[in-house]
Order: sequence, then C-alpha cells, then structure tokens
Amino acid sequence: MALWVLLITMAVAIVGYRYYATRVDQDIIKADPKRATPAKMYNDGVDFMPASSSVLFGYQFKSIAALGPIVGPITAVQWGWLPAVLWLIIGVFFIGWVQDYAASMLAMRSEGMTMGGLAYKFISPRARGILLAFLYFYLLLIMGAFGSIVAGLLASPAIPIGFIFLTLAGVLAGQMTYRWRVDLLITTIVTVLLALVGIYLGTLPWAQNIVTAINGLAGDDKGVLYNTPYGPMTWAVFFWGIVALLFCYLGSVLPIWRFAQPVNYVSFWFVILGLVGSIIGVAIATFTGATGVAFEVPAFVTWNQPHLGWLWPILFVTISCGAISGWHSLVSTSGTARQLEKETDAKPVAAGAMFTEAVLAVMAVVFAATALTRADGTVLYDAAANYKLQVAAGAIWAGGMSRFLGVLGIPAALGGAIGSIFLAVMALTVMQLVLRFMRVASAELIGDKITAFKNPHVGSIVALGWTVLILWTAFWQRIWVLFGGANQLFAGLALLLITIWLVREGKRYAWAMWPGIFMYVTTVAALLVTAYNSFFGPSGAFAAEVGVAFRIGNGIAGVIGLFLALAALMLAWDGVKSFNQARSKMAAAPAGD
Amino acid sequence: MTEEEKKSFLQKMKEGVSDFIYGMAAHEATRQALKTRGSMEHLFILITMGDLLGVPILPPYYSLRLLPYVVPQISTWKRRMLREKDLVDALA
Repeated sequence: MALWVLLITMAVAIVGYRYYATRVDQDIIKADPKRATPAKMYNDGVDFMPASSSVLFGYQFKSIAALGPIVGPITAVQWGWLPAVLWLIIGVFFIGWVQDYAASMLAMRSEGMTMGGLAYKFISPRARGILLAFLYFYLLLIMGAFGSIVAGLLASPAIPIGFIFLTLAGVLAGQMTYRWRVDLLITTIVTVLLALVGIYLGTLPWAQNIVTAINGLAGDDKGVLYNTPYGPMTWAVFFWGIVALLFCYLGSVLPIWRFAQPVNYVSFWFVILGLVGSIIGVAIATFTGATGVAFEVPAFVTWNQPHLGWLWPILFVTISCGAISGWHSLVSTSGTARQLEKETDAKPVAAGAMFTEAVLAVMAVVFAATALTRADGTVLYDAAANYKLQVAAGAIWAGGMSRFLGVLGIPAALGGAIGSIFLAVMALTVMQLVLRFMRVASAELIGDKITAFKNPHVGSIVALGWTVLILWTAFWQRIWVLFGGANQLFAGLALLLITIWLVREGKRYAWAMWPGIFMYVTTVAALLVTAYNSFFGPSGAFAAEVGVAFRIGNGIAGVIGLFLALAALMLAWDGVKSFNQARSKMAAAPAGD
Repeated sequence: MTEEEKKSFLQKMKEGVSDFIYGMAAHEATRQALKTRGSMEHLFILITMGDLLGVPILPPYYSLRLLPYVVPQISTWKRRMLREKDLVDALA
C-alpha cells in the first residue's frame, strides 16, 4: 500500500507538471526563452548570475526541503493518513507549484526584486514594513519550532556523539578545502567517513552511557526540571537545546567558510544517502515483506483531535510544506529568480522542486502511518487515545528511516541515528540562515537607534534569547501550528502579490487568486483559533491555577498569533485596494491575454 | 547540430545528475564565496573610484592611475552599488 501511495503521488506530480504547469507556463505566463532575465541583464557575478537549470533545481530543492515536509505530515497523521495525503496531493497540484513558479516569474519580470520590494511596488509603501515585521516573527517561529525538534533529537543518548563528530568533520572539511587546499574528492571521502564513524560510535553502549550521564546531571530522578503546559521539561532537552542554539550562533557569527558552509556540505551527503536509501528500502520491502509497509494508522481517524484542533483549518497549517509553503516564495524570489538563465527554466526549477518535495512529504506519511509501535514496544501513535502521537515527530522519522534502511542491511541503531542526524542537520541548516538574517534585520531596523544591535554578537544573542523563551516555555505542537500558520499565510501573501501582478499584466488570474483566497482564509482562521486557545484554552495564559511558565509560553504564542493575523489583515486590506485599482485600469484598457 | 544536441541521452543524464548534486551540495557555498569576494572588490573600487558615484574618497590622481585596471568591472560595480536593496536580500 505504501508504495502505491508513493506511486500515485508521483503520477499526480507528473500530470501536474506535464500538463497544468506547462499550460500555465506557455499559455498564460508565456515564458520566452529569448527574453533577457535579470541574471543576464544585471549579471554582476555576485547577486545576479546565470546558472543551469539542473544546478538550480538542486539548489532550489535543498533550500525548500527542510523539516516542514517531514514533521508536518507526521503530526498530521493524527487525523488519519488519508487527509494528510489528500491535502499534500491536492495542495501541491493546485496551490504549491503555482506559488513557487509564479513567484519566481514575478521576480524575474520585476528586475529581480525580492518580497519587500514587490510588496512596496504592487501593494503599498507600508506593506513593505508590515511584511518585514511579519517576516521577523515568522522566522522567530521557525527558530522555535525547529529548535525544539533538534533539542528533542539530541536528547536521545545515541545521537549527540555522532552529531558532534559530524560538526567537527565539517569544520575539518572547511580547513582542508580553504586553508590546506586539499582536493575536494579527498576532503569529501575523509570527512564523510569520519562523520560516519562518529555516528556509529555514538550508537555503542559506552558512548550512550556518557550522554546518559550528561542527561542525568540535573533535575529529579527522571531528569525533569519543571513542568510546561504540555509535559515535563527535562534537563536533557534543556541542555541540548542550548547546544543546538550554540551551533546556530557559531553559524551566524563565524565566517561562512569556517563553519556553516562546510558543515552543511558534509551533512548533505547523509541527507541524500538517507533519502535515496529509504526510497529503495520502501520499494524492496513492498515486494519482499522485509518490514511492514501496510498502513496501521487508519485512513481517517477524526474530524477533531482535541489536543490539536479541527481538521479544518489546523491540518492545513500543520502540513506546512509539501503542499505549499511561504518560505518557498522567499527562496524563489531572493535566490532562484536572480540566477535563472532563461524564463523557460522557471518551470523545471521552481515547479519541479515543489512537486519533488511533495513526494518527500508523502514519504514522511508512509514512515509515520506504517508503524503504531516500535520494535522495542514503544507506542508511537496510541490507538486507545485517538491515535495521539506519543513520541516526538522526529523520532517517528528516525524510526521509519531505521526500518527502511534496515532492509538494505544497515543496523537499526545506525539507521535510526542517521535518520535523527538527517533531521537535525536539515533543521540547523535553515536555523543558521534564519539567525543570520535576524541579526542583519535587527541591525538594519533598530541599529541606528540602539547602536549595540550593529554588533553581530548582540543581534544574534537577542534573537537566540527570543528563541530560548519559546523553546523552554511553550508547547512545540502549538508553536508548530503557529509556524505553519505564518508560513502558509506568507504563501497567501505571495499569491496575493502574484494575483495583482497578473491583473496588471492583463493575464488570467483565477488560477492564482482562488488558491490565495483559500490560503488566506484558512491560515487567518488557524492563527486566530490558536491564539484563542493560547489565551483561553485549558492551561492557557488566562486559565486558573496555572504556573508562570504556562502563562508566559501561552501568552507569547497568543500574542504572536494575533500579531500575525492582524498584519495579514492589514496587508489584505491594502492588497484588495491595489487589486481593485489594477482591475479598474485593465477594464478601461483594451483586453489582454 | 550544436554540441548540446550531439550529446547522447546518457551523457545528458550524467551531466544533469552531477549538476543536481552540485546544486544541492555546493552551489550555495560557491555563491557565498563569490559574494564575499565581490563585496571586498566592490568596497575596494568604492574607495578608489568613489568619485564616479559622487563619493570622492581618494585624490583623483590615484584614481586615474588605477582606472585602467578597474575599467572591466565598473559597469557591474555601479549597478550593484546603485541598485535599490531590500532587507530580504540577506536571505538570498
């Protein structure tokens, strides 16, 4: 069954790409391979520079596929695997690729402008400021959501040693490449092998004992430091959360060649090998029965998961990538659109990467839904509790990867460690970039008034301080929903910009407008519901007899949710005005295509 | 028939896969390296040729002496210096 679901997703992706995307590309946008792109017109060898479509496809896929297409679907399986798969397939077919592709075309036809400039040009001057403030909080949520997942992964005794080895191997790769000028092939072999040995060593009992000893340094007999609204905060998660943020700090303030880039390079090999190995594992298991590939979670569980909310709107923001993601519009406009050599490359690069990501997300559903319990008896989804997720979502992915890599003969412990590190590095890659951006943003926005923010260390530490507050006080699934809401809302904003652009150009716009309206309504509803629950729900900020941590965590979550919804409504107000103005002008002008 | 058309399907496939891996693994790093170098170079040109943008920093005598070496880069440098920048550029 699992393989069939994957095959159906691939078939839908091929049809969507081959027919729907081609039709839009040729008949509506009219991509012209001879028209000069910003990469060619403004080629400065730095920001604007043409690259081939294959290179950009890899770049785009790597930039968009982080934790979103993995953790979101695993969480959403609590409503049943079918709603998750349907939203992924329908979402990517009608909305996801539309946003990624059209955002890159919009930026290309607007001289390579990024989202801020586009909002200024197509909506209003104040839209740019609102968008940037929105962006800061959105990125903060990325830090909180991803950071808590990484902290949970590193708290597992089999992971930290391997992670530390991987980091050191990355630093060594930087030294070998840039200082010692060693051949890249030799550098790759040495550092990847070193990291692999470290990951293997980390799974051995003596290494796990060291980590277990560290994990037991503080807290009560179970390592609990204090209770949060949604469970105990253990010393292990607390401590490894600091380590993860220290990693991001180094990535943010050190020269990029010294830390962030070579660590990401070594990590890449584990990501690609894990991914390819797992797909092969699923295919082999389907025919040999080496491990279970039948869905154990029911196709449909419930309309309302009490601890998460109603299927609409919450599922649509819980799966924040794979179907559609606002992050992609940032990548498409800021990065890819300035490098596309030909307009006709936008379809294979932007739309192609989005469809590929949907397949990755469905694979996460397969990992999640094919096992209710682990081999050691740990319950993953509790059938007696409405299939509520009982472990961290990252553990589900690691367990799934362990099972399917096991089909290829890789020991379960090593497979699980690779799966965990796979997730951790995917999250940390994005977190480093985000922290770097938040540091620059705070320096630009308030650096003139508070000069301390011009110091990179101060900007980074303040952003990390916010993240720590989220990490240590709030419930990650709520933060995940808020992050998903902000992410999808950003997609709605991108679709609004695209619609206004299409109207101004006199092109058909319904194919972008209706998905945009759907995303807007759904995400604003999800943010308001989450904000309400954060304030007034059980254990919410205003609930009686809850601790300070409950009030702070839920209070922050609620305020962020309200702020994002308000900012979105203001942008929509300006956007609709701009849309109507553009339509009136077009009605007065001769009809376009 | 162009060189591109002469390539066999397997050759194209091999190139595509290798480009894809490069794109995933190293393209961003390459861009970062180019950005770092570009920023340093452009800063240097700003210091030496600033009066081309109305920012006289170095006495014109030295600028004129250096001008022949900088000529090939002047157009892209001016474009980059004068282009309206946005905060979101930091994410690129």
